[in-house]
Order: sequence, then structure tokens, then C-alpha cells
Amino acid sequence: MLKRSKVKSYIAKFPRFENESLSLYYAPRMPKAMIRETEEAVALARKFNDEVARPLSLELDRKTHENPDYLPVELVKKANEWGFYTMWIPKLFGGKGFNLPSISYFLEEVGSVCVGIANVIGVHYLGMAACMMLSNTRIIKKVMSDVVEGEKTGEPCLISYCITEPAAGTDVEEVDLEAKGRLGCSARKVAGGYVLNGSKIFISNGHFSTWNVVYAYADLKKGVDTKVALMVKRGMKGFSLGTHENKMGQRVCPASVLNFEDCFVPDELVAMDPDIIKSFTKKTPRDVNMQHIDYVFSISRAGVGAFGIGAARGAFEAALKYANETEIDGKPMVTYEWVQCRLAEMYANVRLGRLAYTEANLANQHRGAYNLLQMKPIYYYLRYLPASYFKKVIAPLLDKPIATWILSKWYIDWQKPKDQQLTTGLASMAKFSCTDLGVRNCQMALELMGKAGLRQDSGAEKIIRDAKLLQIYEGTNQLNRINLFKSIVAPACPKATFFEE
Amino acid sequence: MLTALNNDLKPFEDLITKFSREELKPHVEVHDRYPFGNLDAGIIESGFHKIYDLGFLGIMLPEKYAGIGQGISTLCMMLGHVAEVDASYSLIIFTSALSQEIILNAQVGGIAEKIYPKAKDAKEYLVAFPSFTDPGQSKILPEALSSGKGYTLTGKLDYLVLGSFSKWAVIPARTPSSKGYSFFLVNLNDKGVTKSDPVFSLGLHACPIIDISLNGVSARIIGEEGEGERYFGAASKIMHAAAAAINAGIMRGSLKEAIEYTKEREQGGRPVVNWSEVRMLLADMAIKSKAADLCVTQTCRAIDENLEDWGRISIAAALHVHDLACEVVTDGVQLLGGNGYMKDYGQEKRYRDARQVQALLGLVPLRKLALIKEIIE
Ligand SMILES: Cc1cc2nc3c(=O)[nH]c(=O)nc-3n(C[C@H](O)[C@H](O)[C@H](O)COP(=O)(O)OP(=O)(O)OC[C@H]3O[C@@H](n4cnc5c(N)ncnc54)[C@H](O)[C@@H]3O)c2cc1C
Repeated sequence: MLKRSKVKSYIAKFPRFENESLSLYYAPRMPKAMIRETEEAVALARKFNDEVARPLSLELDRKTHENPDYLPVELVKKANEWGFYTMWIPKLFGGKGFNLPSISYFLEEVGSVCVGIANVIGVHYLGMAACMMLSNTRIIKKVMSDVVEGEKTGEPCLISYCITEPAAGTDVEEVDLEAKGRLGCSARKVAGGYVLNGSKIFISNGHFSTWNVVYAYADLKKGVDTKVALMVKRGMKGFSLGTHENKMGQRVCPASVLNFEDCFVPDELVAMDPDIIKSFTKKTPRDVNMQHIDYVFSISRAGVGAFGIGAARGAFEAALKYANETEIDGKPMVTYEWVQCRLAEMYANVRLGRLAYTEANLANQHRGAYNLLQMKPIYYYLRYLPASYFKKVIAPLLDKPIATWILSKWYIDWQKPKDQQLTTGLASMAKFSCTDLGVRNCQMALELMGKAGLRQDSGAEKIIRDAKLLQIYEGTNQLNRINLFKSIVAPACPKATFFEE
Repeated sequence: MLTALNNDLKPFEDLITKFSREELKPHVEVHDRYPFGNLDAGIIESGFHKIYDLGFLGIMLPEKYAGIGQGISTLCMMLGHVAEVDASYSLIIFTSALSQEIILNAQVGGIAEKIYPKAKDAKEYLVAFPSFTDPGQSKILPEALSSGKGYTLTGKLDYLVLGSFSKWAVIPARTPSSKGYSFFLVNLNDKGVTKSDPVFSLGLHACPIIDISLNGVSARIIGEEGEGERYFGAASKIMHAAAAAINAGIMRGSLKEAIEYTKEREQGGRPVVNWSEVRMLLADMAIKSKAADLCVTQTCRAIDENLEDWGRISIAAALHVHDLACEVVTDGVQLLGGNGYMKDYGQEKRYRDARQVQALLGLVPLRKLALIKEIIE
């Protein structure tokens, strides 16, 4: 009915049809093996839930209430034993190389039993993503091999991502705000490295982690243009752990204070600074800084979306169980239409949310951070070559500056800004929608269950405590709404400006 | 708002705000740790005794029974003020009033005389009640057997508010000869009563709740056999307004803390209150909070003026206020960012408490259906 050229021109108009329906275009391109791998990840999560998460979840929540200083180290050890801290590290760096989108399904699954436990696993990959996206292959190799080693020795080696400061939360997630924010972590250039001073707060897994990706500023007044990304290892002189917070929920996952007092970080652990940026791109440090934040959060916000749907599912499952076991006026609750409609809505919320984070993952796969690993030939190459090959042939190359140069070029210079906007926008959409749906389902479950849902031993009340955090971290849901607008809707609003009202 | 419309409430308001500020506020965070921490029941209970000494446990109880003989407006005003600071203590006052209403509605002066004027302390005055239960909705209730001069109760009852503290409890139970359930007065110190540890719950931690099991415990019937539903219906009709008042108070507390914090906290080089989206959230909270205050005030008026359908107004207002409250407290946490999630601030407690308050007096959807049934039929 229409000529192909016409079709092309219509679908290219705003909103561009391809961008609006990624699953239509990209699902068929999925390597088959990826689906099997994802199934395996989900199955592992279910087994872990049966054997570890479900028996521990409420007990650990209770223990951390009895003693707020209690740190569930045994949980981290278990996750380590199960191989969860290397499962999504690319084979290139010694990990098991599960495809990265599969972690969302895995986290949803574990999150449906305990969002806190899912966070203890998932947030390590926020650290990994931050480390990877800084693109220094030598550093990535070093850190990841420590994680792999930690799995072998049974001494977990986790990575944290440390950007939030006492006076800057939203500010460190958006360069326009960062430029005006009150930043506190300074990195003073000295011979052979930087000297780090200041504190980071609310750092998930801080008390468990061995490696920390820390942002600091060479000039606090011009922080956004002088940002430095440093790898700080536990035990380094001048680095100490402060308290961890007494939180409403997700109590198994500590949110820690990290203190730096004249902590010297040698050049070999400097992952990014303005000089490094200059060595491979003409872009300004500020732009590269934003690009980096976008990359990291495009990955992690899809994961937080999965946590949100985990919570939505946990709440749905609690309500379903209650409705199955309860009678009203002598009839099973599930025979009433009003109950059926509410349960149907809760189920729909789960499915809708999953679609949202799946779209975000598809954007990451084809337009964003995973595009290198998920290209079919590379995917199969990585999947089927033996680990020894990577160790002998590839690993030595990773120490060479050229490897870092290529990766930096690939991620910083060669990616299209439009693709990155789509990716970050969809990740924000998944993040705020899924987490709002999570809290919504929790509320519905509590209303359906009444006093039974209020008891900690019923499990339902814990989910609504756990779920609230998801609307706050990884950028508050307000910031994520603004980011979605800015990245995807704004092209339709030529007059729009941001953070300038 | 209630006081603005009714000057008679002023002395009570002064008293309750002073009490909340001086006696409750300094301890909110510590009391919220109950039943954990180093906090023993004694510290929590000393607060109950103070409330008793001030007469807050008998606000609507007639003076002839050693109450202070005030109406629903006074009760709601007081519950709201306490809830602004720590809603756990509102639940204590609420439960005391609810059990009194059951006894009064059953028109059994004898029981009221036996308990209240003779009470030596809060333990004897504050009658425990399963305030989160509509007994008509419960499949399982204890069984009551008549033993000639009285009854004996056997079976389990869950989620009894203040069961670990009070001497007396009003307990719903079924008798073999009646279709409906009945209420009984039980001495919780009876050796046939087994009490659980405090149930670890979502919110309102400083007001302990326990499960009990009864084994042949002697009990006195309250009113007539099989008439429990009628007494509960009459009592809950008025107490819905009281539950709404608690959540309206929580909302005021949440809004206040959100405004104070967002004025102080800076992001992007300015107080966050100056970002228009933050203002929009605050505006939504303010609208809901003001609307809730109105609901409570007008419901009290409808009750005081004995409007024909005050009962429906009361339940509709309560359901609406609870909905609003659960939204407001969620935004209340949000506006404090990460700090909102921490126990060093008041918002996370309100987020939990509001939902616990919503569950008072039975399942929300069933209350909705009961309301519409009354309207239709
Ligand atoms: C348990 C927990 C774990 C965390 N884990 C980590 C971690 O591992 N690593 C890490 O670096 N950080 C972590 N965080 C920090 C988290 O990302 C921040 O809390 C979050 O970004 C919000 O920052 P803030 O708390 O400073 O809130 P603020 O930025 O102070 O925000 C306060 C309120 O103002 C609003 N607001 C602020 N600026 C604007 C604006 N411009 N427009 C509209 N609204 C605005 C916010 O939406 C919010 O409602 C964690 C936080 C928590 C609570």
C-alpha cells in the first residue's frame, strides 16, 4: 500500500518506531544460546531461593533488628560459594561470562524472595559495571581476577560503587547538578598518584567489599570538570570504614560510610582523570563524565527495575498464598471477583514491569554497553572458546595500553549520542516504573491481607520496607523521570532546558 | 483544625501537645526499637502509666465510670496530636477507647463499674482488645462454654493489642448456641492464659501486640450472647473516625518533616524545595493532608450532631484518609532521599505506621463492601 521509501520515512519520524519497539526488532537477533543461559540463571536463582534465600530471609531481617550492627557475612560467603560473584564477569576477564541481561531475570527471581539478598549480589555488579565502563583493561583485569580468586579461596571479593557524599546525592548523578553541587571528596595530584580525602556515604555492601570505585575531584570548586575515578582497596592506608546505617529495610545489605584521610592511591589504580581522557578523545571531561554515569546507570537501573519487579512479585505471591488459604463468609477468598481482579492486577504489574526492564536491556544490548559482547560472533566466540585460551592468549593483551585505548575509544568516542540517550532513557523508565509498581503491589498485598500481612513472620510487611529503597537509590525516581524526559521526550520540545528553572 | 472550630478543646490540646513534646518526642527512636534492643517492657510501660495519669485512657468514658466524659472530637484531636509525634501511643489510646465503646454499647454498666473506677493503675484501666480484627471476619475464634454461673473460654486469639500489659481484655468468642459471636471480659492474669512474645510487626512498635491461647479461662459475658457483631458494629462506627484521626496526624507529621528538610537540604546549588518537582510533591502531600483533616473534622461534626448517616460518613472518611495517608508517607520518605530511609529521621517510621493504622478494625476491602452494602440496601 505504501512504497518502502515512504514507509521508511514515516517510521523514522519522531517518535522513531524502531526506538519505540525494541523487542520487535531485536528479539529475533538474540543468540539462541543466550536464552538457554538465561534459563539456567533463573533455575539457579530458584534453587538458591529454596536452599538459601527463603530459609534465611526473615531470620536475617530479625537478627539485624535485634542487633543493628550485625553484618550477615555468612550470606555473602554463601553467594560466593554459589559462584554468583563471577557469574556475570565476562570470560575475557576470567568470569563465567553469563550474558549480562540474564542478571535481571536472576535478580527478579531472588528479589521475589528477598530484595535485600538480591541487592547483596546485584550491587557487586554495579561496582563491576563502573569498573568496566572506565575502560582501563589492566585495572579491570586486576580487579576481576581478585574476584575470581576470592571465589576459589572462599574469601569473597566484592566491588562497591562509591559516588554519594554527605552533601551530594542527586548531584553526583547528573553533571549539570554536579557543577553546582557542594562536593566534598578531594583527590590531590601528587607524584605517582593522588591523595584522597573526604567521605562517601550510603555505600551498598561497603562493609563487605574489597574493591571500591571511588569518584573524587581534583578541584572541589570545579569538580565536574576535574573528576577522578580511583580504585581503592580495603586495607589501603588512610581508608577506613565508618558506621553502617540503620535502615528501614534491605537490612542484610549494609549501607556504609567510607572515610578517606590522606589515602594515597598510586597511578596504577587511577582509572580515569582529565589527563587520561585527553589521551584518547577530544571530548571534554564533563561530557565523558556524563557518558560514564549514563553507561553505569543504564546497566544498573535495569537491574533495579528487576529488583522492583522482584518486590512486586514477592507481594503478589504473598497475597496469592493468603487468598488461597483464607475464607470469607465460609467461601474461599479466591472465589470472589474482587479478589480475582486485584490479584490479576498485581500479576499484570509484574509482567508489565518485566517488559519495561527487558526493553532497557535490549537497548543496552544493541545500542549500549553490552553491544560489544552481545554481537553474535563475539558472543559465540567468547562462549565456546576454552578458559585456558583467554588466560594464555587474551589476558596478556589486556595489560597493554592499546587494549585500554581501544576500549575507551569504543565506549567514549565511537558510540552514537542518540543511542546512548535511548539507552539511558529506557533504563530510567524501567527504574522508576518497576520500582513504583513494586511499592504499589506491596500496598495492594497489605490491603488484601490486613493484620496477617503486618506480622514480620508473614513476610509481606518486609517487602514493603525493602521496596521503598528502590524508589530512592540509583537516582531518585524524580531524577529518573527527568532523565527519561531529557533523553527521549525532549527532542519533541526544542525549548526545553534542564536543571535551569 | 478541630480546636479552631471548637474552643472547648483548647485546654485538652494544650495538655496533649505538651505531653507529646516533652514525654514522647525525645524517645521516639528508642521506643520504636521495641521489642528489640536493650529496651525492656518497663520503659515502654512507664509511658502508658503517664497517659493514664493524665486521663487520656478514658476520654470518651462517662465520668461516672472514672472517665473524662468527652466526645469524639476530643478523642480525635488528641489522637492526631499524639500521632504527629509517635502513633504507637495513639494506638494505646485508641485501643482503650475501643474496648470501652464495646462495653458501653453492650450497656453493661456493671462491667464498666467493675473495671474503671476501681483501677489502681494503667494496667487495670487499659483494657486490651484485638483492634486489628473484625471478629465477624475471623473464621477461628475461641470457644465459650457456659458453666452455669459464667463462661469458660478455650482457643487461640491472635494479634491482641496490649495483651502483654493489661489485666483485662475484651475477647470475642463463639458459643455453641448462638450463630453470632459474643464478647467476654477475661482476666489476662488467669493461669489458663498463655501469652506469646510481642509480635514483631510493620509499625507502631511501642504498642505491644501478642497472640494468646486460652485454656478453660473463666470469663464474663459482655452484654448478650450472639450479639457481638452488633456491639462491634456500633463501636467501630465511631472508632473509624478515630483511626482516621491517627492517620491524619501521621500525615501532618510527615508533611512537616518534609518541608523542614527540603528547605535545609541543598542539591544543584539551591535548597531542594526550590525545584518545582519537589514543590509539586509537597503540594500533593499538603492537599492530601488538608483533605484528611477536613474529613476528620467533618466526621466528628456529623457524629456530634448525630446526622442520620454519620456511621457511613465515618467509615467512608476513614477509608479515604487511610488511602491518602499511605501515599503521603511514601512521598514523605522520598523527599528526604536516602535519609528518609534511615531510622535517624521520622519518615520511615511514618511509612510503616500509616499502613499499620490502615489495617485497624478489619480488612480494607471488606470494610468497603460493608459500606456499599449499607448504602445500597
Ligand atoms: C540504602 C542505600 C544504598 C545506597 N547505595 C549506594 C551506593 O552503593 N553507592 C552510591 O554511591 N550511592 C548509594 N546510595 C545513594 C543514593 O543513590 C542516593 O541516596 C540518591 O541518589 C539520592 O540522593 P540523596 O539521598 O542525597 O537525596 P537528595 O539528592 O538530597 O534528594 C532529596 C530529595 O530532593 C529531590 N531532588 C533533589 N534534586 C532534585 C532536582 N534537581 N529536581 C527534582 N528533585 C530533586 C530528590 O528527588 C529527593 O526527593 C544509596 C542510598 C541508600 C539509601
